[in-house]
Amino acid sequence: MGFFLRRLSFYFIALLFAATLNFIIPRAMPGDPVTMMFANATVQVTPERIAAMKELLGFVDGPLIVQFGMYIKSVLTWDLGVSVQFYPLSVNTVLGNAVGWSLFLAGSAVLLSFTLGSVLGIFAAWTRGSKFDAIISPGMLVFQAVPQVVTAMLLMFVFAVGLQWFPTGYAYSPGLTPDWTSWEFLKNVAYHAVLPLIGASIVQIGGFLIAMRNNMINLLGEDYITMAKGKGLSENRVVFNYAARNAMLPSVTALSMSLGMAIGGQMIIEIIFNYPGLGTVLLNAINARDYQVLQGQLLVMTLFMLFFNLLADMLYVLLDPRLRKGA
Amino acid sequence: MFANFKKTKITALVLAASATLAPQVAVAKSEVTIVPDFYPTLIRNFNPFLATNLRTTTDFIYEPMAVFNEMKGNTPVFRLATGFEMSKDLMSVTFDIREGVKWSDGEKYTADDVVYTFNLLKTKPGLDQTGANKVVTAAKKINEYKVEFTLTEANSNAPYDIVKVPVVPQHIWSKVDKPEEFMNENPVGTGPFTAIETFTPTLYVQCTEATYWDAENLNVDCIRMPQIANNDQFLAKAINSEIDWSSSFIPDIDKTYASKNPNHKYWMTPAGTQAFVVNFNNPDAAKNEALTNVDFRRAFSMAIDRQTIIDIAFYGAGVTNDFASGLGYAFEAWSDEAVHNKYKKFNTYNIDGAKALLAKAGFKDVNDDGFVDTPSGKSFVLEIQSPNGWSDFNNTVQLAVEQLEEVGIQAKARTPDFAVYNKAMQDATYDVAYTNYFHGSDPYTYWDSGYNSKFQNSASPRFAMHHWKNEEVDSLLGSFYKTADKAEQMKIANQIQAIIAENQVTIPVMSGLYGFQYNTGRFTGWWNEKNPEGRPMIWAGIPERLLQVLDLKPAK
Repeated sequence: MGFFLRRLSFYFIALLFAATLNFIIPRAMPGDPVTMMFANATVQVTPERIAAMKELLGFVDGPLIVQFGMYIKSVLTWDLGVSVQFYPLSVNTVLGNAVGWSLFLAGSAVLLSFTLGSVLGIFAAWTRGSKFDAIISPGMLVFQAVPQVVTAMLLMFVFAVGLQWFPTGYAYSPGLTPDWTSWEFLKNVAYHAVLPLIGASIVQIGGFLIAMRNNMINLLGEDYITMAKGKGLSENRVVFNYAARNAMLPSVTALSMSLGMAIGGQMIIEIIFNYPGLGTVLLNAINARDYQVLQGQLLVMTLFMLFFNLLADMLYVLLDPRLRKGA
Repeated sequence: MFANFKKTKITALVLAASATLAPQVAVAKSEVTIVPDFYPTLIRNFNPFLATNLRTTTDFIYEPMAVFNEMKGNTPVFRLATGFEMSKDLMSVTFDIREGVKWSDGEKYTADDVVYTFNLLKTKPGLDQTGANKVVTAAKKINEYKVEFTLTEANSNAPYDIVKVPVVPQHIWSKVDKPEEFMNENPVGTGPFTAIETFTPTLYVQCTEATYWDAENLNVDCIRMPQIANNDQFLAKAINSEIDWSSSFIPDIDKTYASKNPNHKYWMTPAGTQAFVVNFNNPDAAKNEALTNVDFRRAFSMAIDRQTIIDIAFYGAGVTNDFASGLGYAFEAWSDEAVHNKYKKFNTYNIDGAKALLAKAGFKDVNDDGFVDTPSGKSFVLEIQSPNGWSDFNNTVQLAVEQLEEVGIQAKARTPDFAVYNKAMQDATYDVAYTNYFHGSDPYTYWDSGYNSKFQNSASPRFAMHHWKNEEVDSLLGSFYKTADKAEQMKIANQIQAIIAENQVTIPVMSGLYGFQYNTGRFTGWWNEKNPEGRPMIWAGIPERLLQVLDLKPAK
């Protein structure tokens, strides 16, 4: 229990710190929402129009300390304010529209790459030095090392623009009314998700694979593995029940960190494939200096990150009896 | 993707048909696909008073009382009004409202709606996007179809500002609790396309209704707006013939767009002046000494090879501007040719002339680095800025830097983020910047936004941020619309251009051109160089787009 409380207070302080940074960072950027709204105006922007816009938005020009007070209040009441760029939509609505797509895309990408990476890692370690290991391990690392923007663009140009097997953008065909009970619509969504999902997964596999492989190799040298083999247990049983289960521990942290990051969206993938997730929202908010959306989204990202970290801590305790005693 | 889209459209049609149990096959509606703006996602907001609304709200849902056709010298084309009359002292104007116009819910459009709208702007100044409150003190109903506006000051341009205000139905809006937060998802309007037939985050379609007063002149059933997030996505669709009407930037348009399909056409119309702006309040003593010297600015201007910049940076889309007053050939009618010719040589490419002028003004190379130093012997490097990502501007600056080197002026290009660029201009911490200006039916908008010192504060956009002040220019600008007499305005314009030209305040480079791309495959009747009826841009804020859509006919 003491361990739990100590972790919890640590996370609370981290949250306060992050919340303050969330407030400061957007405001440290030059420019303000109203200026940016009219930056590229093609028709005349009179000072009156700018004044009207500022009057409408009210809060933008208030003194920093007042803005900070309002921000803290909004954090505590979970009312994240009103977006400038999509006025009068609330930040909650703007994020709500995008969060589902992001969770779907980034979440399935993380799960897919974790599963694939871990399984491949287990086999690579077990058959260390084999042809499979020699190809798959460095191969996946190469994909990880290539910037995501390159792999995503390649995917798009080969399979969407060139071969035209898949669409170039959107989460579903334009003009289609979302209907989650219709099989046709779900198929359409899946069809549009193929390329983004591959693009988002392929770069993550290497990380999970190498972590798993290295842990496995360490563990395979342990006495209890030799003992298990000596007892005459089947290969599968030794690999999965004895080695993999223990090698999994560090990967659990990596997994929960990735899940925490997932809420930020797959920014690059979303922008390249015009996918309506949080990454796109974040970039637009930065470009438009939409402070309310920015700080709201950063806050949500912080909360998710901290939550999944906490979850990893808890899981560790469950999975590793030594920690329970150590605490 | 296109094939796939067709399929879903057919499915939708089948669904719609079976839902209504209509036995006949629906007659295909004629839809014009337009790109009035780029959006990250479509938000159903048809509130005409919000800057965040969808760009088909004004003109297409809320029809204006009149459209002032800028290309025809701002002659009014009357729509929901049949005429207006200014009082002799220019302190009031009376509009005659057209009888028989109906809102899309069947109610009559009357003077009450007009008066209600202007009162709404008075009580909620945040809604006043067009700045009408600064022009109009009050709107008064004379009778069912007559409204009198009293003005804040004598202003011959007031009708132009008045018709920019979208008139909303009193019977709907008076029941709206907070108009500033009203999304107006199912608008009731007077314009040609008031029915929102489809709305998804990636596409929406607006169609005409039986109530439209001018239905006999309208041959388009619907306008269709796909969500497009940026210029790259737009280009892909335009090349693919998926767009009928757009006015976005297409690089090297002949090759990229026009050559791809015989139906792909374009027409460029005059846009505002573009110029190098210099900072008259430079904190650096050496730079300040150079930039405040009129001969230095003239030499700078003579070093610029305008045609080369247009050919390379703008793919030929532009007209050289050799007016020291910045007017440009688009406003030749307003030019005092004596003034134009007197300073023309300073705004024409001439390397030797520039060198001679620098030498005469005392700019010599003192420290033998190959570049001139100020008359007091200080060396300087001018930083010329343009906003990051505005590639035509960035190329212009790069070319100018090379051209300035030819005459011995050392400069380098900078491409900060727009916000940094803008702030440096407001704070007077930059050296030289490249910018565009607004255009208009007369030079007033350009001169007022670009030279009136009342706009040299942190709340104003970049245009007047040379920080050069001249009280005479300020007061002349203030008097421009105090008269309705064209000859009088011409006299004022002559005085203004003489002062600006004499001081070579900015270094005009070219007059830009607005892009307009149209597809003759599905519709005909587009305005073009043979049929120059007006500005054809599809952006909100160009009310002539309403007149263009009325001229369209489905192709056979």
